[in-house]
Amino acid sequence: MNEDSITALLDKYWRCETTLSEEQELRRYFSEEDLPETLEHYAPLFTYLKEEQSPKLSSDFDQRLTQALQRADVPSAPHRSPLWAPLMRVAASILLIAGMGVSLFFIARQNNQPHYSEKGNEASQVMEQATYALEKLSKALLMSQEASHETLRQINAMEIDWELIDSLNSEEVRQQESNPAEDDTKADTVEQSNSTDSKDSAVMRTGYHEPIKEEKKI
Amino acid sequence: MMRTILFAWLIALPAMVSASDFVTLFMERCAEGSRPLNNVNIGKDMLHQMAENATDETLKEAFGKLNSIRIISSDSKRDSRHYFRKADELVREAYADYREVVSVNEQDTRISVWLKEVSDEEQHLILLSLDEEGKFTVITVTGVIDFNSIARLSGSLKDKPELMEQTN
Repeated sequence: MNEDSITALLDKYWRCETTLSEEQELRRYFSEEDLPETLEHYAPLFTYLKEEQSPKLSSDFDQRLTQALQRADVPSAPHRSPLWAPLMRVAASILLIAGMGVSLFFIARQNNQPHYSEKGNEASQVMEQATYALEKLSKALLMSQEASHETLRQINAMEIDWELIDSLNSEEVRQQESNPAEDDTKADTVEQSNSTDSKDSAVMRTGYHEPIKEEKKI
Repeated sequence: MMRTILFAWLIALPAMVSASDFVTLFMERCAEGSRPLNNVNIGKDMLHQMAENATDETLKEAFGKLNSIRIISSDSKRDSRHYFRKADELVREAYADYREVVSVNEQDTRISVWLKEVSDEEQHLILLSLDEEGKFTVITVTGVIDFNSIARLSGSLKDKPELMEQTN
């Protein structure tokens, strides 16, 4: 094949118009050793393609293949998945569905509640409601204060002798300290003799102290 | 890790959805279609706007520090008694972290005030009331509740109807 026809084939090659046989011819031509200088620089392209198309096995290929086959023959430990693994999957699925179900239930229940909501668009309506709320709260506080004061007034009107009651208690304590064996009998006696007073005083003291607490809270 | 997060989310989601204030919970659990209720909710922005517009200093103080006011009411005497009992049960059952600070129990009037101090800057208050006209009211208030200012309000608002028109 002369240089001109090769050049023509090359042109055809660059235009991607060559057939497979023509490309094979080019490869055969460029694999020859005595190429004209003008075409030498094309040689690597066609020899490279030729080399790529016919890969060579390495010298130790057989040895490596044998070793690999031997390794494959050794029985490997069987892969066992834990017994509970499928159960975990089932549990996870149930949990997922249950979680979504519960969420939907709460959302649906929230939306389906039969309540009648007023959305105050007018500021005056809102103001009215807000002041109503605070006034209600204010009234509650005042009522509580009044109740406390009333209780105090009533207790004061009873003119209870707190000192006498306190002295009875302190006397009882002293007796218990000095004569612990006779505690029960003496305590009973004192209790019997002052049964009405002590009961009343207990009530009064509770009644006296509770409102004070309430006042402090407020 | 992702599974753990997913599980935690799934478990927390219903709790997050269900976690709610007293008014929401009351509406969820106790509201009945045959016993109508009125519900009014006022948020922080509106309260602050009202505080800005109010001319009464006491009202300004009271509104300015609040985060929300929510009101439920019933006008029917029969329903009011029913709802008051339900509300009282609910607050005792589901709001154990609240303490009862005021309790008035008179012939026709019942008032119960429950308070939870979340922090110095946040208090939650629930007021249950059944008044002499048989009207049931639940009021919840959150934010900084200035009891002194609120206590001064009683009666003063009736004398100043123009306060209601401040935001017009």
